[in-house]
Amino acid sequence: MQIAIRKQPGFYAGLVLPGVLIVSSLILYPLINGVYTSFTNTSPLFPDTRFVALDNYQFLVTESGFWESVGNTVLIVGVSIFGATSIAYLLALALNTGLRGAKFLRTAVFQIWVVPWIVIAILWAWLFSENYGLVNYIAIWLGFYDEPFKWLFHPQGSQWAVIMGYSWRSIPFLMVIILAALQGVPNDVNESAMIDGASFVQRQRLIVLPLIRNILVVAMLLQSVRLLQEITLVFVLTKGGPVNATMVLSLFTYKLAFEDWEFGLAAAAAILWLIMIMLLAVAMMKFVLRPTT
Amino acid sequence: MTQAATTDPTAVPGPLQRPPTDWVKIAIDLAIYAGVIGSLAVLLIPVAWTISTSFKPLDQVFDYPPQFVPRDVTFENYRAMFDPVLGRMFFNSFAVGIISAGVSTIVGAMTGYAIARFRFSGNDAVMLFFMATLAFPIPMIMITTYIMFANFGLLNTYWAMILGHVVITLPVTVWLLRNFFDQLPGEVEEAALIDGAGPWYTLFRIVLPMAKPAVSSAAIFVFVTSWNELLFGLTFVSDTELRPLPAGIIMIFLQEFEGQWSEMMALAVIVSIPVLLIFVFFQNAFLRGVTAGAVKG
Repeated sequence: MQIAIRKQPGFYAGLVLPGVLIVSSLILYPLINGVYTSFTNTSPLFPDTRFVALDNYQFLVTESGFWESVGNTVLIVGVSIFGATSIAYLLALALNTGLRGAKFLRTAVFQIWVVPWIVIAILWAWLFSENYGLVNYIAIWLGFYDEPFKWLFHPQGSQWAVIMGYSWRSIPFLMVIILAALQGVPNDVNESAMIDGASFVQRQRLIVLPLIRNILVVAMLLQSVRLLQEITLVFVLTKGGPVNATMVLSLFTYKLAFEDWEFGLAAAAAILWLIMIMLLAVAMMKFVLRPTT
Repeated sequence: MTQAATTDPTAVPGPLQRPPTDWVKIAIDLAIYAGVIGSLAVLLIPVAWTISTSFKPLDQVFDYPPQFVPRDVTFENYRAMFDPVLGRMFFNSFAVGIISAGVSTIVGAMTGYAIARFRFSGNDAVMLFFMATLAFPIPMIMITTYIMFANFGLLNTYWAMILGHVVITLPVTVWLLRNFFDQLPGEVEEAALIDGAGPWYTLFRIVLPMAKPAVSSAAIFVFVTSWNELLFGLTFVSDTELRPLPAGIIMIFLQEFEGQWSEMMALAVIVSIPVLLIFVFFQNAFLRGVTAGAVKG
């Protein structure tokens, strides 16, 4: 149904007014003001704000730990997304075989998504604790190593602890999306390929993956954006340490803004972060997404 | 359509494998079962361990080897949670979550309705912009809103958190509701309008009640996001009385509970219960909100 705006101008204005107000004052203005702030030395700690041109950006890309946190972010989010997607894909394939009780199993997995991040942070501290942590116990029992490992006090160890948290929380979402996508794959295509002698791996690679590719990419992109915004786990579990190994962009930018009160620097870091996501999204849409016919 | 994500996976028959003989089929089925249940067990270990630890007396928490079934079950850790400070945090989280859900859903419904019913050429660009705002760094938004809220005297009020939570969820509520209105045939509205009902009456009394699935998905999504959100409650509020759970737990309980793992796990369980109940009782609405944007609506 179409409603002519001309007939109902007051109604239309009233409808969009709250949305426009919120978006313009709390999303658009902060974006524009963020760009502006990034060229100044704004800080609530001193009243004298000056225009500093590109000084903030120059400082970020040369002297700060900015690139290090970009690297950590790419590593932690990247490994989590690809790891979680692989596991989610296998689980979804298994649940899509007409398994009895598949719906129940899906629900059981999905409750992980409901666990609040603050709870994951507390729980991870307990699981990865040095002397009584379950992770150390299981790993020693399985014979991976002999002595309790100080997961959270070791740079790579803490990165892996965070990666496991991010993956664990991402699997349910990706699994549900992939399962929905798999259900849209026509069965006869798969079956005729099987009769023609295509192996399991060939069928996934040549038939199923191309068919669900767009949904898969969008889901991975959405989850990456969520993990990029995520801050609770690193904030509580590792505080970005040890030696900044788990200092991801969200925590880096937040600390600049609200612990160091360097709004100018933080805005510059946020703008660079935004530019990088935009480039990633554009690249994915251009090179990975296929136009649907 | 988002519905696809919520359909029963068992509804689509037809195994991927077509085994030559029956026993091969049985073996494959058993292997798949074993694989799924095995990975499920691994995935759910953290949840089981939390619940198990929360019922142990503190001196049995450090048992070696670890016991999944507590030797002695105690409710002492949960009793210790009856604490006015924690109660206040729960209240704050509920208040902020419910008001955020109301505001974000109503504004999202109005905006989504406008986009769905008044077509103009920039529609898709507007929707794309909405989804793109999800990627805007939250600290960037907070820098400007912090200054604004300070000027308006909104810092250290519920509203500072509510507006923050509305901003980060509005794109999803608009998306969910617009997609729903897009698929809703307009005849009922036309009839109502012709019968002389005002457009506002039609929207709130006729259209929104029909949009109950999308409205509930949106509201649940906002509430759960708000329940999870740390930064606004940590930064925009300094009064202990106003802190919601995540910020309050970090500021107050983490130091106090140092090493008291059984009480910490009891805390973890009760913080999860409200959102878990929502998931259990409104599973489909919950999933629609979560999958918004990924599965085309």
